[in-house]
Order: sequence, then structure tokens, then C-alpha cells
Amino acid sequence: MREMHLLLIEDDAEAAKFLAKGLRESGYVVDIAADGREGLFRATEGSYDVIIADRQLPHFDGLSIVAMLRKNGRHTPVLILSALGSVDDRIEGLRAGGDDYLTKPFAFGELLARIEALLRRGNLPEVTTRIRIADLELDLLGRKVSRGGEPIDVTSKEFQLLEFLARRAGQVVTRTMLLEAVWDLHFDPQTNVIDVHISRLRAAIDKGFDRPLLHTVRGAGYVLRDGG
Amino acid sequence: MSSARLALVYAALVTVFTSALLLAVYLLTRSALEREIAAVVRAEVDDLSDDLRLGGIAQVAATLRLRADSWGRTGAVFLLADERFRPVAGNLTAWPREIEPRESAMVEFDIAARERGESVLHPVEARIQHLANGYWLLVGADTSERASLLRSFGIATAWGIAFTALGVWLLGAAYARRTARRVRDYATTCETIIQGDLTQRLRVDGSRDEFDALAMAVNAMLDRIEQQTSTLRAAFDSIAHDLRTPLYRLRVRLEEAQLRADLPAEAHELVAPALEELDRVQRTLATLLQISRAEASGVTTHGDSVDLAALAANMVELYAPGMRAEGLDVTLDAPEPAQLSGNRQLLAQLITNLLENAMKYVPAGGRVEVRVRNTPTGVSLSVADNGPGIPAGEREAALRPFVRVGDAASKAAGSGLGLSLASAVARLHRAQLTLGDNSPGLVVHCEFPAAPRRDAPGGVALVS
Repeated sequence: MREMHLLLIEDDAEAAKFLAKGLRESGYVVDIAADGREGLFRATEGSYDVIIADRQLPHFDGLSIVAMLRKNGRHTPVLILSALGSVDDRIEGLRAGGDDYLTKPFAFGELLARIEALLRRGNLPEVTTRIRIADLELDLLGRKVSRGGEPIDVTSKEFQLLEFLARRAGQVVTRTMLLEAVWDLHFDPQTNVIDVHISRLRAAIDKGFDRPLLHTVRGAGYVLRDGG
Repeated sequence: MSSARLALVYAALVTVFTSALLLAVYLLTRSALEREIAAVVRAEVDDLSDDLRLGGIAQVAATLRLRADSWGRTGAVFLLADERFRPVAGNLTAWPREIEPRESAMVEFDIAARERGESVLHPVEARIQHLANGYWLLVGADTSERASLLRSFGIATAWGIAFTALGVWLLGAAYARRTARRVRDYATTCETIIQGDLTQRLRVDGSRDEFDALAMAVNAMLDRIEQQTSTLRAAFDSIAHDLRTPLYRLRVRLEEAQLRADLPAEAHELVAPALEELDRVQRTLATLLQISRAEASGVTTHGDSVDLAALAANMVELYAPGMRAEGLDVTLDAPEPAQLSGNRQLLAQLITNLLENAMKYVPAGGRVEVRVRNTPTGVSLSVADNGPGIPAGEREAALRPFVRVGDAASKAAGSGLGLSLASAVARLHRAQLTLGDNSPGLVVHCEFPAAPRRDAPGGVALVS
């Protein structure tokens, strides 16, 4: 598999250094741009798989960079980082053409999971009607789940959860991503509400089977995959 | 309305004083006219007495005969009568029957005169003089002129009073209306300011009256408050920002340590709780910033239409498994869609905070009910539990940041910001969050207006 190239546009040198280090350790090739002008230049000239742009930058802010890229026909996925926590900012960011929005402070695992999601986006054809992971099968049209041929009863929300995980099988999915996708909530509840839903789902699909499919990734989230 | 009443009282007072003044003028005029008639009559009597002294009765009679026909023009009445009251000279045909002859008394009587074929009574005031030779002299004046003058004067006075009263009342009412309008204008502006739009100012119309003075004073006060608030907010934001970056770096370092395989297990055990603690600090900071933004929110984008019933169902669905795991029974009572204008994420945050609050404070075995209703004025939301509740005296304080109620154990559980943020979100939606007694337990109630009022700054959203 070829190396994935990331462009990180962040004016806080120390934060950029930490992030770049973490991302490189995770196997990415990372370029850093320290301000909006340099960021826009690199984003237009280079060929990146994902661009991570801070919202507040000298010269051009993150939103302007996204807008200019889109105007020039560049569709590189952009993840916007922001210290502004308000919900309107998020809507504004996505409206400007950003593909995802992450509010500081975030866990590094959250960032990794979202970059991975952006990279894999488009790999799965939209018109999928069935997803198989090992002996677990999801019928997306009939909204039915079976494992080893045996039907499993799940609630509609549990099915939504499972579908989201299954579409990203093998990929880490964070609690925040689940809250956004399944409940349309863009803030962090202070309690472990998602964990309880996951453990119910786990009880439904993994209980009584030798090979668990729904795994917890410590400090990051969950992943649905065949084998440890 | 009190300013209209004030105008009415003012009009009444002005009317009373004007009436008193005009009445005094009327009375003075009347007495002056009366005195004038008496003086004229006296002068005539004195003249005739001189005639008597100089030329005897014959001279008096001659003078009277000369003047007899002048009655029609001057209104003067004369009669010279002998000792048996038989007329000798003058323009009266007989001694007036109702008049007793007494020296020097001023008497009043009516005389009949023929005018255009009709008999008309003329009031007369007269003086009687007993002459030396036993003759009687009567000199008087027709007072009908004076009476009609006084009548005209009276009518004019009455009209004057009526016009004054009406004019004063109209002016007063207009002034009262203008005053009321300005006060209402101020009240509306103040309400907008209370909603959080500190940029609004009272209107100064340049009339330089007391209202302008008041408006300018209030505006100066608002400038000062706005300036202080923005200074405070800037300080708070920069503190929060300055804290965020080091906390963020701290977090990255701790996470890095957690991922290091070469560190002993004990080190990992130390890092995990440190990260949890850091989590709490960062979340508190984020919540504080959210409250500050919600509080500061003024003119922003318009709110969306949100079905609070559906949102409550979504939130209950999210929380129910977790709450049941802790032994709490949560039920939803939202039978029909309940639309309101607002920000879905913030309203979700509000419900989240109320549910998490219940999870913190209601012991296992408890009940929590979320209820959404359409009311005549909008939409109501209530979250009721049967936990320990909050004593009436502490309810207001419980909505303030960092105030935790209850015993030490439950105090440790929360950041003390949950209800405060919920309350800020409610205010942002023009709703008041109130805490009540569910006997036993706590009921948090929120009454949302149906749609944003037109005169308020549009919609609801966070401003950054």
C-alpha cells in the first residue's frame, strides 16, 4: 500500500510538531504549513490525500482555504480543526466545503480515526445492499442482521450503529463519530452513554460466538472486524 | 394607564383654576357696573337738588320736562310727584305701585314699555328723594343693558372655560401619549438588551427634554457595561485560550506515554487516571466557554425549526440504556410533535444536562420522566425525578455556575456547570428554566415561546 500524504496547516508550532510526530508514527507522510498562505500554496501545488487545516490562521483562515480549493476544482478531503466550540462554527465549516470538523481539544485517537475515515471514504460503493464481516451479515434493505445464518434481533438504533461500524469495518470509529452519525449530536456527553449502547450491541451480535467481531480500541473507540 | 390619568388630573386642575379666575373677573365687572349706575343716579339727584334750591319746584319740573323724552336713548328714568304721589313731571306715567316712598334708598322695580306693539318689562334701579316742600323725586336707570352685557359676558366666560378645559385635556392627552410611547419604546429596547443584545441603545430624538437626558444617561451606562463585559469576556477568552494550548500539549504528551510500550505497567497505571482528570478539566473549560458564548449571544443567525418532542425522544433513547444500567427508570411523555424555533444542538445539550444531572443525583431505583407538551403560548419541557430534589432556598443558587447542592458525595460527582449551562441555553431561547418540587424529587421546567417575536433580534444561535 502506498504511503498516505497529509498536509497539516497549523500556526501553533508546538502543537503542529506533536501532531506531525503522532501522525508519522501512525505511518503517514506529513508536511506542515505554518500559515494560511503557505497552506493554500502547498494544498494547490502538492498532491495530498487529506488536508488538516486549523480554522484560525494568519493570512487565510481554514475556511477560506477550503473555499478556494473547491473553487479551483480540488476535492481533496479537508478536516478543519477549531478552537471555537460553537455549533454554528461547525455548520459554517461544513458549508464552506470542509469534509469534517473537529473541535479542540480532541484526543489524538479521534483525529486518527477521522483521517482514516476520510481516506477510506469512497472506497465503499454507495449502493451496497449487503455487508458481510466473517459470518455476520447485514441486509441493508430489509434492515436485518444475522450471524452464522441465525437471525439476530436488534432495535432500529442498534441497526444504525451496526451499519455505521460495518460500513467502516476494520476502521476505528470513535464515540463522537457515533454520536454524530446515529444521534446527530455534535457535543460530548460527560457520561459513557455510547459504551452502554455498544455493550448491548456486543451482547446481541457477539454473545455465544467464539470469535468476537466488535472490539474496543483503548483510548480511541471501537472497531468491527474479523479477528483481534 | 397612569400617564393618561395624570393628563386628566392636570386638565381638571387647569379647568378649576381658569374657572375661578374668569368667575372673579365676572363678579368684579358686575359690581363695577352696579357702582357706575349708582354713581350716575346720584349725580342726577344732586343736579336736580341744585335746580330745586335755585329755581324751586318749577325749575325741577322744567328740567325734567326737557329730559322726559330722552329715556329711549339713555335709559334714564325720572319722576317728580306731589305729596300725594301724583306725577308732576318726568317720563313715568305713575308712581310705581310696589315702591314705598323712603328717603335715599336704592330701589329696584320693573317698568312696562311698549316696544313694537309689545309690552316689555325693563328692570330699573332708582333713588328716591323727599323734597323740602313734600314733593317726591325718583331718579333711576334702566339696567336691562347691563343685564344683557353681563349675560353675554357670562356666556363668553362659560365658553372660555369649556374651550380651555378641552384644549388642556387634548394637549395633556397628546403629551401623555407621547410620553407613554417613549416609555414603551424604552421598555422594548431594554427587553432586547436583557435578551443579551448589549449593542442596543435607547432612542435619543434630539428634543433635549428630560427623556433625552434619561436615554443618554442610560446609554452611557450601557456603554460602560458593554465595555466592561467585553473586557471581561476578552480576559476570560484569552485565559481559556491560554489554558487550552498547554492542556492540549499535556494531553498529547500523556497520550504519547500511554502508547509507549517500553514503559513499565506502573507508569501506565499512573497515566490513565491523569488523563481522566485532564479530561474533566478540559470539559469544564469547554462548558464554561459554551456558557459564556450562550450568555453573550445576541444578534445571530435565525434559529431552525426544531421538534422538541422528537429531540426528547432521541435523547431518551440515547440515555435510557445507560440509566437503566444504573437502576433508573426513564420514561418519555411526548405524544405529539412540538415545534419551536431554536438551535437543535443546544436544546439537545440542555436535555442532556438535565438527564445527566438526574443520573448523578437520583439514587438507584428512582424514576425520571421527560415530558414535552404543546401549550397555548408555545412548548413546555419538563424533566421530573423522584430523587432527593433541591430545597426551595437553594434552587436559584443551583442555576449559577459552580454551585453544587446536596451532600459532599453528590457534590463531588458534578462540575457544577450542568444546570447553569441548561439555564443559559433556555435563556437563549427566551425561556426561563425553573426548578420545582416534584414531592418528592426535582422537576426542571422550561416554557418556550412558540416563535421568535418580531421585534426581538432574530433567532437563536451561538455567537463566537
